[in-house]
Amino acid sequence: MAAKSPVKEPPGTSAVNPTTPLAPPPVKPELPSSSEPDVVNVPSYSRWFSFDSISECEVKFLPEFFDSRSPSKNPRVYRYYRDSIVKHYRENPSRKITFTDVRRTLVGDVGSIRRVFDFLETWGLINYFASVKTLKWEDKETKSSAASAESSSALKETSKRLCNGCKTLCTIACFACDKYDLTLCARCYVRGNHRVGVSSSDFRRVEISEEARSDWTEKETLQLLEAIMHFGDDWRKVAQHVSGKSEKDCITHFIKLPFGQEFICKESDSEDVDNKFFSINNPSDAVSESENVGATSPSKRMRLTPLADASNPIMAQAAFLSALAGVEIAEVAARAAVTTLSDVDDRASKGSLMRNTRQQEAGVASNGDATQNALARASVDASSLIEKEELDVEKAISGIVEVQMKEIQDKIIRFESLDLQMEEEWKQLEQVKNLLFVDQLSVLFHKSNARKNGDRTEENVKTDVS
Amino acid sequence: MKLPATSSSKAPVKPTADNLVPIRLDIETEGQRYKDAFTWNPSDPDSEVVVFAKRTVRDLKLPPQFITQIAQSIQTQLTEFRSYEGQDMYTAEKIVPIKLDLRVNHTLIKDHFLWDLNNYESDPEEFARTFCNDMGIEDPEVGPAVAFAIREQLYEIAIQSVASAREIKISKKGRRGAEHAISSKGGGNALDLMKLFRYNSSVVRKRKEWYVYEPIVDILSNEEVDALEAREDRNTR
Repeated sequence: MAAKSPVKEPPGTSAVNPTTPLAPPPVKPELPSSSEPDVVNVPSYSRWFSFDSISECEVKFLPEFFDSRSPSKNPRVYRYYRDSIVKHYRENPSRKITFTDVRRTLVGDVGSIRRVFDFLETWGLINYFASVKTLKWEDKETKSSAASAESSSALKETSKRLCNGCKTLCTIACFACDKYDLTLCARCYVRGNHRVGVSSSDFRRVEISEEARSDWTEKETLQLLEAIMHFGDDWRKVAQHVSGKSEKDCITHFIKLPFGQEFICKESDSEDVDNKFFSINNPSDAVSESENVGATSPSKRMRLTPLADASNPIMAQAAFLSALAGVEIAEVAARAAVTTLSDVDDRASKGSLMRNTRQQEAGVASNGDATQNALARASVDASSLIEKEELDVEKAISGIVEVQMKEIQDKIIRFESLDLQMEEEWKQLEQVKNLLFVDQLSVLFHKSNARKNGDRTEENVKTDVS
Repeated sequence: MKLPATSSSKAPVKPTADNLVPIRLDIETEGQRYKDAFTWNPSDPDSEVVVFAKRTVRDLKLPPQFITQIAQSIQTQLTEFRSYEGQDMYTAEKIVPIKLDLRVNHTLIKDHFLWDLNNYESDPEEFARTFCNDMGIEDPEVGPAVAFAIREQLYEIAIQSVASAREIKISKKGRRGAEHAISSKGGGNALDLMKLFRYNSSVVRKRKEWYVYEPIVDILSNEEVDALEAREDRNTR
C-alpha cells in the first residue's frame, strides 16, 4: 500500500497551496543542490506539500489515516507524524535520517510511522539529495549503465529528465513547458496530465538524442561485435562487455551499423520489425507490437502497457507513439500504413480462402519487405479470425433453432396421443351409455310384457271361469 | 532508549479502543546488546514484522543475525497478545492508578494518576503527547516511552482481570460466594468508587494528597545518568 514507486501521477493540485514556506520556486531534480543553508530542495513532483494542509496525494497513498477504520489513526495524527518527520529532517538536510531515529521520537505504533516515513522518502520530502540518485527503482540498473548514468548526468544533466506527471524517466522525447517549468513525458502529455492552468500548446517537443552522449570509437564497436557474437541476445552482458555504454546505446548503435541486417536471424524477425517499428511508427498495429517494443527496448521504465483512456486505448496508444516519434515521421508512417492496409484489404477480399492470402503474403514476404509482411499477415489473420467467429455464431444459432424445433415437435406428439386417449375414452363412454339404454329399454319392455301377460292370464282365467 | 527493567514484556488486551501492543526487545548476540521498546499495531500483517526487523537492523547497522531474532521476539509477543485478545475481562467499574517511573536519556519522569479502564476512548498516545507538550519536555524520545509504560501497565491489569475472570468462572462452578467479593475489588488495585464518590465527599482531591499525584520531571546530569545506569545494570544482572 505504502507508496513505493507511484506510477500513477498525482491528481491536480487544485486544493493545495503549492509552494512550501521554505523551498524556493520548484527546482528541477537534475540541478545540483544549492549551498545556501536555509534553502531546502523539494522535487518538483512534490510541489503539493504544505505544512498547513493535506493533499489528495497523501490521502491516496496513505488511506489508513483517512478512512476512520482505526480510532487512533486520523488526519491529525497523520499530520503530527508527517510534520515531525519533515521538521526533523530539515533540521539537518544534508544528513540522511533513518526510520529508527524518527520512530523513537514519535508516539504511536511503528507500522504506521514507517509507512508515513516511506511515503515521504519516496516523494523526496525527506532524505532528498538532488544529485545523482533519483528514484529507488533505478537501483536495478546494471553496473555499466549506472556508471554511465553517473558520468553522463554529471556532464549533461539535461539528458535525464523526469516527467512531472508520472515521475518516469523521459528517454526518447519529452515535452517541456518553459512557462511553468514543467517536463512531461510523452504519455502524460497525451493524456493531458499536467496542471490545470497549462494547455497543450504551451509545450514544445524536446528530442533527447542518445548519440549525443558519446560517440562510438572503433574499439568500442569491435567490443560490441565481439560481445554480440558471444552473448547473442543478452544485452545486459553485451553492455557489461563494452565499457561505458548502456544496453540501450549498444542496441541502438548496433542497429545503426550498416551491416546490421545480416546479423538478424529469421527468429528475431519480429524484433527487427519492432525496432523498425520504433522508427516507422505504425499506428494500426499499436497494441501487440508496442508491447514487443516494450520488451526489447531496455528502457523498461517506459512501460507501454495501455494505461491510456479506457474509451479508446488504441487511439491513445497511437497518439502516444506519434507524440513520441515526432510529427513528420508519424505522417509518413500513417500514410504507409494506410496504403498497406488497403492493399491487404483488396487481396483479402479477392482471395476468399485464407490459404490464398497466406500464400500471397508469402509472396509478398519473398519480396523482402518485412514490415508489410507482418502487417498484411496480421490483418489477414484478423479477418480470418472474424470469419471463423461468424461461422461459429451461425452454427450456434442453427443448433439452438434445431433444439427448439425438436421441443415443439415432441410436444405436438404428446398432445396427439392425449387426443387419441380422449377419443377412446369417449367411445367407451358412448358404448356404456348405449348398453345402459338397451338395458333400460328391455326392462321397460319386460315390464309392459309382464303386465300384458298378467292381463291375459286374468282374461284367460275369467274366460275359463265363465 | 532505556526503561527501568521490568519483568513483563507482553501486550495489552482491550483497555483502549485501539489496541497497540507494547513490544519490548532485549537481544544480545555476539557481544552486542539491543534494547528497545515500542508499540505495535496488531492489525498490521505479519509480513510487516520482518520488514520492520530488516529496517531496524539496517538503520542501526546491526549484524544481520539480529533480523531473525528481532522478528521472532516480536512474533512471540504478538501471538501472546492474540491469545489474550478474545478473552473476557472482568470489568467492573474500574479506575486504576497508573504510576510512571521512568528514565529516558537525561529525563526522569515520575507521575501517578488514575485511569478509567472502561473508557475505551482514553488514549495513551494522546496522553503522552499532551504530557510532553505541557511539561515542556525537549527530548522527543520521552513521548513514546511514556505511552509504552502506560500501555504496559494497562496490559498487566488486563491480564490480571482476565485471570480473575477465569477464577470467577471456576469459583461459580464451585459455588464459593466469598470469592465474589474479593474479585470485585480486582485484586485490590482498583479504587472503590463508592467510597470515593460518596455524596458527602467531594471529587476534589484533598490538598495533602496533591504531592502524590503531581508529575515530576527531572533533567539529570551526565554523572547521575551514569550512576543510574550502573545501578540498573547491576540489578538486571
